[in-house]
Amino acid sequence: MSVRETLSDKVIRSHALNGTGQEDYVHARIDALLGHDATIALLINQFEQRRLSIWDKSKVIFTNDHFSPAATIERADISANFLRFSRNQKIDNLLVDKGICHQLLIENRLCQPGSLIVGADSHTIMGGGLGACATGMGSTDILFALATGTTWLRKPKTIRVIFHGSLPGNCSGRDIILELLRLLGEDGAQYRCLEFHDFSQPKLSQDNRFAIANMAVEIGAKFGVFVPDEITLAYCSERDQQTPGDLVLPDADADYEYTLELDLSELGPRIAKPWSPANVVAVSELDSIPISTAFLGSCSSGRIEDIQEAAEELDGKTIHPDVRLIIIPASINIFKQALDKGYVKTLTEAGAIFNQSSCGPCGGIDKGVLGSTDVCISTSNRNFRGRMGHWDSQTYLASARTVARAALKGCISGDLYS
Amino acid sequence: MNIIQGRAWLFGDNLNTDVIHPPNCYSLDPVVVRQGLFSKFDPTLQARLKSGDILVGGKNFGCGSSRETSIRSLLLNDIGAIVAVDFARIFFRNATNNGLPCLQFANAEDRQKLAEGETVSISFNDWTLTSETGLTIPLTPAGSFVRKIWSAGGLLNLLPDSAKDA
Repeated sequence: MSVRETLSDKVIRSHALNGTGQEDYVHARIDALLGHDATIALLINQFEQRRLSIWDKSKVIFTNDHFSPAATIERADISANFLRFSRNQKIDNLLVDKGICHQLLIENRLCQPGSLIVGADSHTIMGGGLGACATGMGSTDILFALATGTTWLRKPKTIRVIFHGSLPGNCSGRDIILELLRLLGEDGAQYRCLEFHDFSQPKLSQDNRFAIANMAVEIGAKFGVFVPDEITLAYCSERDQQTPGDLVLPDADADYEYTLELDLSELGPRIAKPWSPANVVAVSELDSIPISTAFLGSCSSGRIEDIQEAAEELDGKTIHPDVRLIIIPASINIFKQALDKGYVKTLTEAGAIFNQSSCGPCGGIDKGVLGSTDVCISTSNRNFRGRMGHWDSQTYLASARTVARAALKGCISGDLYS
Repeated sequence: MNIIQGRAWLFGDNLNTDVIHPPNCYSLDPVVVRQGLFSKFDPTLQARLKSGDILVGGKNFGCGSSRETSIRSLLLNDIGAIVAVDFARIFFRNATNNGLPCLQFANAEDRQKLAEGETVSISFNDWTLTSETGLTIPLTPAGSFVRKIWSAGGLLNLLPDSAKDA
């Protein structure tokens, strides 16, 4: 009897170089590789000293998103060395100052449904929003993959997640993934593939799917992959001016570890309290907490629907005088869309600051980092202690709409939606 | 690598890489990277570490970022091994690829039997951890692929010659 396969089973088997694809560790070829200044900088010396060459320059996407532009002398030097290396290697997709690498991956035709992608950053998993098996790794793994076009993978078990119902108008993909974090915890999908089946009506938008796939890694997942459907096809067709080839779909009775069903109609706005993305409660349960900072950005958000939500909330209004609202579109393409649609003007008039498309303060390294007394509400993906700045600073994670409402009110509170 | 001996430093569940090595300590300067270890979590800890010391953790050790500066910092501080209930996948790969052993307790509750600062030794011959008080705690034997990487001295030594520039 043949084994009924999940989506990631099929992708790994079809990329396995030898063996059956059923071993504990599979040696697999990759379809694309993603890297950024901060983590590629850690491998340049080794790569050059060993006189290695890149297996296929057309399948590599590099960008400078952590230090874009650099804020310190050391980072300017790191950035310059990263750009020198990338230009010497003649990387086809060297995207300088164009946005956050994970957003640039999904804007690139290299990110196809059913492809196997590795990246030198944990949120590479966001490619799963398009049905790709994409996963983050460290610099050593990425050096190996860059030189060989291959990697070693453990075949993960798969948890099937089925979405039913209709997403309420005040909720987004951010609220869905925060709810999954509440249910599963920080290790609930450790070494697993989360396979998302969207039976909701209307189906989740591509932006919402990216938000969900992005934070699958916060549940410990190796892959967070949406089963591709008409939403995927429409996105890829518009992006590539070409329809994707045969879609990789899971078998109808594939071997899942278990199935989790989520009725989206029951969902309300969610928020993760310090200092864990799994420390999630309903916004309505919160006491009033004054905030100093509101951040709409990072690879887990900062897409056009997020900026649109904020513009809807803040149109014709002015944010609270004690709050700084920082908005970072995830890419220059998104920034241009936001300009065209008038959102930049609306939000700037409401008091928001727009920063260059980059990681910004998410990793505590660029403009907008938090001081000891700062309390921040953020659309980023991690609120680990000290991540966005001072050890005593506090970060709450929520949707773009909740961030905008809190910026207006000057606090997070249970009545943000009443 | 038959036996590693060092003092045990105890940590809880879900110890993430931003706490192990804060992102503002990201640098290519080895001194900055070395001194950044646990610098916000406990600013006195790094200076007290000695060569061969062993970190003992709970569930999901090393969750979060893929930044390999956290592994570099552990190696620059000469940490001998990490023993935990289980590991986050990227951290486990990064440590293994750089020859830093990550071992799991065979029984999760055994982590409670160790005291902060006591000297423990790990035997890679019979996959046990022995405490100062004489307790012998079983560890899960590392898989053959992980041992292959350790034996090679890290993943990069498994690069095929064909990968080199002709």
